[in-house]
Amino acid sequence: MIKLPKQQTQSLLAVHGWSGVLLGLLLYAVICTGVAAVFAKEISDWSSPLSRPSGQELPTGFDAAYRDLARQVDPLFLHEVFLFPTAGGRWNVLFHVDEKDAKGQPVERGTEFELDPKTLKPLARRDGLLDEIADQRRSNAVADFLVDLHVRLHLPNPWGLLLTGTLGLMMMVAAVSGLFLHRHLFKEIFTLRRRGGLLTARDVHVVAGAWNLPFAFLLAFTGSFFSFATTIGVPAMAMVAFNGDIEAATAALTAKKLPEDPSPVTPANLDALFADARQRGGARVGFVSLEHWGRADARATVQLEAREGGLLNTAYLYSLASGEFIREQPFLGHVPSTGNSLVLLMSPLHFGNFAGVVSKSVWFALGFAGAYVTLTGMLLWTRRRQEQRSWRIMDRAVHLVGYGLPLALAVAPYAYFLLRDRGPHPADTQGVLFLAVAATLIVCAAVADDLTRYRRRLLAATGVALAGLPLARLASGGIGWSAAWQQGLASLLAVELALFVAGALYLRLALRRSATDEATPAAGPAMQA
Amino acid sequence: MSVTAAFPSRARAWLRGLLAGPLALLTALLTMMGGALWLPEGAAGLDHLVVPVVFFPMLWAGWFLYACLDPRLLRGFAVVGGAALLQLGLILVHLMAAKGAVT
Repeated sequence: MIKLPKQQTQSLLAVHGWSGVLLGLLLYAVICTGVAAVFAKEISDWSSPLSRPSGQELPTGFDAAYRDLARQVDPLFLHEVFLFPTAGGRWNVLFHVDEKDAKGQPVERGTEFELDPKTLKPLARRDGLLDEIADQRRSNAVADFLVDLHVRLHLPNPWGLLLTGTLGLMMMVAAVSGLFLHRHLFKEIFTLRRRGGLLTARDVHVVAGAWNLPFAFLLAFTGSFFSFATTIGVPAMAMVAFNGDIEAATAALTAKKLPEDPSPVTPANLDALFADARQRGGARVGFVSLEHWGRADARATVQLEAREGGLLNTAYLYSLASGEFIREQPFLGHVPSTGNSLVLLMSPLHFGNFAGVVSKSVWFALGFAGAYVTLTGMLLWTRRRQEQRSWRIMDRAVHLVGYGLPLALAVAPYAYFLLRDRGPHPADTQGVLFLAVAATLIVCAAVADDLTRYRRRLLAATGVALAGLPLARLASGGIGWSAAWQQGLASLLAVELALFVAGALYLRLALRRSATDEATPAAGPAMQA
Repeated sequence: MSVTAAFPSRARAWLRGLLAGPLALLTALLTMMGGALWLPEGAAGLDHLVVPVVFFPMLWAGWFLYACLDPRLLRGFAVVGGAALLQLGLILVHLMAAKGAVT
């Protein structure tokens, strides 16, 4: 039991409540999209599958295919090449070079091929600046929309990252203050008081929040790190240690410190190199960087996914001239270090991707509990202040965001499925549909005379939208269930089943009037604004 | 004279907000930047640059919570402001030494 003087307890209560309420609506949006983004890869594979399943691994024969592609691009773009997997097991090969634009600003220009993982034939070719190339990618659009909303709320950099970083800080503050406020924490974890057969709203909030405290702190801490590292951390450290030169700071952290030699050399076989990396690390290739292709100082960095039961990725550095293994390559620096391990640890702790679907499911469940705690916390706060008009308006806003956001998120992918092959980019069409739904819901919230009914309608609409997504995918010409089963596309079928189940649960919540209305704080008296 | 006696409650609330908001953020930033000067570099020569960036969110949350909870406002200003000035001094001395070395 944690004891604090009365005055400090009151201060903490104020900090806990206001940190949640001031930015709680935005924080709720970040958590909700983060919960869905845990399964970003599965969502991409589901929304844009290839008709034949792939093992997400670079197949043998890639070397010949790669050399054929390298002959088709501007030789300048051989300066640096990235290989990385995308939706449905596709592999992208991005040739590019650093340049200066007309204003002297650094830009990157190149050519990207999207490869079928089975045939290694290009499915698409994209040319231009890297931003333009990124805008042309469509296969990951559904997951990218969610991830971008989660990472920066679709705001331009660096403002979006700064805002989500601040939201992470508020979440940390709420978690820490919650730990001190709930003095009988261990008792409260198991306290489920019943009134008329139902849990009280406060108990549900406290129990979910208490169980979720360590996880909330972990997510907030790692999320804040991702938001602030590049926007504040690197420039600040560059100012102190590199006279403000950010490029010098980045080079100091990531340079491989190998001698330069531009003389021409025939590069080693990539298939043999990848096989060696797999054997050394005991895991699949997840990302590859090829530098100075065709030169004597050419090197390949082969990053593996975390091995089964492992937490951190490993990367190996090879000479492309000889094919020889040089060393294990840290993400930062050229020898292992505490700083490198800490940075690498951030990713699995935030994304929960260290033990496949199992860890992702745990992260999804805990994240869902976090969203629930945020929403119920805001509802409890506004419900207690019903006598004030401003808090009644806030209560309306909490209902709008709390139940409207999942609906808008569930509706947005319809734009992708119905319009992906024509006209604007799917990110834009999804954004327009998302905003249109949001605008409609704002109007409905403003005129609603019964928030309970409003909430129930949103729940029902979300259920219908979720259950309809597989049908929208089929209507857009996607692979059928029978063919997917025969081709072994288990991930696609699992996502569709999850959508049907989620849709059914939402509809059940909407229909369970008496139970839900009494058990959650959303069921307060009708608001008279 | 205590802060309670010197300032009305509204002024104290604003001072508390100033301490927990901009000052706590500034102190966290300076602590992170100062860390580059007094933390060990490690084998790769980068721990002093990376570790403070990793822990910056915790630094900020820590200073924020302390600024909210110290019942004595003046002491809060002294501790937060003192830490900020200490780090700022270290950074300025380092930057001036670096500038002198270049010229």
